[in-house]
Amino acid sequence: MRRLALLLAALALLAAGCGKGSSSDEAGRLVIAVDVPVTGSPYVAQTIRQGVELATSNLNGGGGVRVGSKSYLIKVKLYDNHLSARTAVEDARRAIDAGAAAIVTDGTGVDATWQLAKQAGVSIAITHDGGTGLVDAEARPNVFRIAPTNHGIAFRYAEYLIPKKLKVALLSDDSGYGREGAADIGRAFASNPEAVALKLTLPAGQTDLTPQILRARRSGATALLVWGQPPTIASALSASRSIGWQVPVYTPPTGSDPFIRQQLADHPEWVDGLTFAGGRLTAEVGTGPFVNFQSQYEATYGADPVGVKNSEGQAIVQPPEFAMYSYDFVHVLLAAITHADSIEPGKITAALDQVTTQGANGDERGFNEHNHEGVVDDDVYFARFHDMTYQPVQDDPLSATLPLIPQTRSQ
Amino acid sequence: MRRLLPAAAVAALLAPAAALADVQQVLLPGPTPYPTPSPPLVTGGAPPWATLTFKIHSSTDQRVRSGVDERGRVVSVRALERLRLTGTGDYLIVVSAPVLDVRTGPGSESQPGQRRGQILWSGFSSKRRLLVSDAKLHPGPVRPYLPLRLESSREGDRYELAVTNATTTSEVAFQGTGLPKELAVLLDRTRQDSLAHRRLRPAYVTISGAISQRPRQARISAPLRVEGRLRFPSAPSAVGGATLDGRTVRFSFVLGDRQQLTRRIEVTGGGEPKLSLEARPDAVVRGLTPPGGAGTWSAAVALAPQPADALLERLIETRMELVRSDQFQGFLSNPDQLGRDRTVYVYETAAAPHAVAGSTSSSSGGDPLTVLLAVGGAVVAAGAALVTWAHS
Repeated sequence: MRRLALLLAALALLAAGCGKGSSSDEAGRLVIAVDVPVTGSPYVAQTIRQGVELATSNLNGGGGVRVGSKSYLIKVKLYDNHLSARTAVEDARRAIDAGAAAIVTDGTGVDATWQLAKQAGVSIAITHDGGTGLVDAEARPNVFRIAPTNHGIAFRYAEYLIPKKLKVALLSDDSGYGREGAADIGRAFASNPEAVALKLTLPAGQTDLTPQILRARRSGATALLVWGQPPTIASALSASRSIGWQVPVYTPPTGSDPFIRQQLADHPEWVDGLTFAGGRLTAEVGTGPFVNFQSQYEATYGADPVGVKNSEGQAIVQPPEFAMYSYDFVHVLLAAITHADSIEPGKITAALDQVTTQGANGDERGFNEHNHEGVVDDDVYFARFHDMTYQPVQDDPLSATLPLIPQTRSQ
Repeated sequence: MRRLLPAAAVAALLAPAAALADVQQVLLPGPTPYPTPSPPLVTGGAPPWATLTFKIHSSTDQRVRSGVDERGRVVSVRALERLRLTGTGDYLIVVSAPVLDVRTGPGSESQPGQRRGQILWSGFSSKRRLLVSDAKLHPGPVRPYLPLRLESSREGDRYELAVTNATTTSEVAFQGTGLPKELAVLLDRTRQDSLAHRRLRPAYVTISGAISQRPRQARISAPLRVEGRLRFPSAPSAVGGATLDGRTVRFSFVLGDRQQLTRRIEVTGGGEPKLSLEARPDAVVRGLTPPGGAGTWSAAVALAPQPADALLERLIETRMELVRSDQFQGFLSNPDQLGRDRTVYVYETAAAPHAVAGSTSSSSGGDPLTVLLAVGGAVVAAGAALVTWAHS
């Protein structure tokens, strides 16, 4: 009899749970999981997390997101993937169990987590890794990215460098990032073998790359395209300049990593001329939107110091590029929730294909049924360093239209 | 804006004008607004937005391929749109269409995106860029806006294909007393634009005295140049309304421009044909040909007086026809309101649909009946388990 009473009570509770739920005045909770390498790549982890938190604190400050007659406040749950795919899988499981509507990640372990997330209808947003194959709107319908893609960067480099009639040494390190980049850059230059002087793999983490750089020089190279982690780029620069070879050096977005400037702080002239490809920080409307975002970011978290100064003694700061991408994703997610008029992860994921918002740089951000890349190839620009800061190059049609982003702060 | 200006608004504009002045300048039809909202195609929901700065211009070449069944009904539609951008800057283009699927077309320098009811383009144009989309469209919502209606029928060994201009619409027009010489000059200018396949330039006409709405709405059709062929398995024995060339029946005509709006092709024998037809919005030629063999309208008026009201009526109606023709030049939208558009409409016999198997298996098990049975089964099983537990 007692068990029957318990059963009836349980059924009554179940019935209450199936109803409309709590009062519409009471705000609900919506979880966004952030899975980043806090202990593996702290700068990347911090900037992604802060981008998400900045966006959510703004939204929560405005009352949260309204779905039907109820408001939801957004809660950010942070997970540390340690740059490990295995940990990323565990994190994804925990995030799904916590009811996450989406997982924002640097890209670690997405090959292993996307199916898990898909089963729960949860979307994954990559805001750092540009690896080809991570995002595929048809095969991985729940994976989205707001970050420049390796494919886009490689083809933009081919478009930029081949007309210059340079003989390019394609150097890549043996990290996963380097190997993926080598494949993309190889494909981009495949139709123009005359533009390639040499293809060479560099050992990641090796501080002295002089033998490899000398080999590149002997091959007749007139430019280096170094696709690798920041330490590899710093070592390649150091080796070429120390042997007196003023060859132009081109890199993917890792070329803008503060680490390189920190490593070469004793020889700032070695950084001069280093050109990297990245996602544009400003749209045609000008610097206004990005500078507003940057001011808001710095007011909340402070500027991201590079740790070096220019020749006038001004401190150099890093514009919050990757924070912008995770910040933008939260806004696209919010638009999708509003479009779906639901907090069901599956419905939100489907709605992500149907919405566009204005990004922090004034550009439109959004996805569609055929493309889950929020940074299109045409958004890839080139910037060149001088005196520890960079500015868009003038010999590329897109880059030439972009203004300079302030990167110095008075002491 | 190339948008519909409601007839009531025209009438409202005309009414006070009548009372205001003895002589006034009245805007003639063209180049816009178009008499109906579509084409270009529009879809429901949020209005399409796009950004194309003044630094970038675009023109389109389109090929709309309709598959027709044995009765002439459109059963499939594909639209190939070649958007040529000129200028340097960012672009974000939304082409509204009931799209089922869109792929990159030949020669495209970028890839189109797809959303419900939209084809998307986004990127940066450096001086020029070609964007080509190949879209499969829902035939249902598109059918009413195609320029031709085809009906084919068979009685014994006699086959008939009726091709009808489906662009006809009614428009409010005004009447008044114009100046024959000026009207002749305006007719000549309109004719020059028409023969050069140029979009009309805005023009005003001088009207003396009262202006009023014509008692009957004008019936306007875009002239359509139609060329096509019917290929038969064996040579037909007789043909009407077309020419016979072995097993192929060829036809070519203009529907509209003071000519019939429907043409019939009658064929005896030959079996079941395969149709291939192209239609292009065309110039107004006959409607703007000066009378009496004169070289120009001005010369015709100088030779023999022409009634001013007839000249005005012809001027208005031919300009409306040219506007309607221009409207069908852009079946899918062009983000540049002033950009040039050209559309060819192709109608072809669609391949017979494949027979569908009586039962299909689904690995996902997602069909409604399966889901219903699964849910029902689970509920029954859960209930049984609970009762068993409660009585244990």
